[in-house]
Amino acid sequence: MTKKIILSSVVAFGLAASSAMAHFQMMYTPESALEKGGKITLKHVFTHPFADEHTMDMAGVEEFFVVSKEEKTDLMKDLKPITFKGSHNSGKAYESQYNARKMGDHLFVMTPKPYFEANEGAYIQQITKMVVNVSGLPTDWDAELGLKAEIVPLTKPYSIWAGGTFTGVVKSNGKPVPYAEIEVEYMNHDIDMAKNATSKEAKVTAPQDSFVTMGIKANKDGEFTFGIPKAGWWGFAALGVGTDTEYEGKELSQDAVIWIQAKDMK
Amino acid sequence: MKKTIFGLLIASSFAFGHTALMSCFDNGDGSVTCEGGFSDGSSASGTVFKVEQNGKAVIEGKFDADSEFTFKKPSGDYSAVLDAGEGHKVYVGSKNIVE
Repeated sequence: MTKKIILSSVVAFGLAASSAMAHFQMMYTPESALEKGGKITLKHVFTHPFADEHTMDMAGVEEFFVVSKEEKTDLMKDLKPITFKGSHNSGKAYESQYNARKMGDHLFVMTPKPYFEANEGAYIQQITKMVVNVSGLPTDWDAELGLKAEIVPLTKPYSIWAGGTFTGVVKSNGKPVPYAEIEVEYMNHDIDMAKNATSKEAKVTAPQDSFVTMGIKANKDGEFTFGIPKAGWWGFAALGVGTDTEYEGKELSQDAVIWIQAKDMK
Repeated sequence: MKKTIFGLLIASSFAFGHTALMSCFDNGDGSVTCEGGFSDGSSASGTVFKVEQNGKAVIEGKFDADSEFTFKKPSGDYSAVLDAGEGHKVYVGSKNIVE
């Protein structure tokens, strides 16, 4: 009995500590639902999108590609290092230009090199997805790429009203992950594309810490649904679901991240 | 006979349940490519495509197997038109077609 109590409080403490340190690999562009094709800019930043209290130095990029009309195109050569300024510090980040000329979905996937989180003595690698659509034609948004860690959307990530919902399936190498632990954060600071900086002003205030990084869980089939209360970008990170668990002799949390953008009904 | 009519009705109601979509871009070599499609992701391959000037069709054809139509830019203002039948036309004006 005593043992059980100790064990559960240790678990609770562990959870609290990890949720206070919610990292999110961001892949940002101002508009995910484009009226017509054209050049877009993406910013790749490793940060805490709600609190914006610390911008991490990205360790580099392993893979970056786009899938459009079932065709995969490597985009590694388009990445350019930048310094991104958060509200409290600056970090190493990347930007890329892309010509989203063709009608349909442009599904971006970016796998950063593992980042060493000294506080946890472990590496973090967030395989990140983001979809930009041109002119409303659905083509690749629901593609399942069989990534080591992946959130496959069941809702178009660029076509969600504020007040609507987002549903996804957490997968590890193509297999659903039952009861996967997912962290959800709202991008609470605007991004200045020209200055590579966040706005210091937060859009909303969390009533308590559990609202900063919201912890939810997938069901037995690895599916989850989250109600989207406010317009803007929302990030979902399924933690430690990837097939790789070790990097350079240390623990690795290989996470699956997806970004969605909700719009006001007005 | 009845069966044929029924089949036709289903075919048309299917097409009409979706919104027709079109996006065009200037290839930078004097030609323009338009892509067509429908909101359920289906292709516009075989759908009528026109280029109109002053309400008159100056180019007419059908979207190819890739759901695309490429044409030589006419001089002056024009509209690219996806014509999937009454109430299902999409117009894109030349001013909105950029490289």
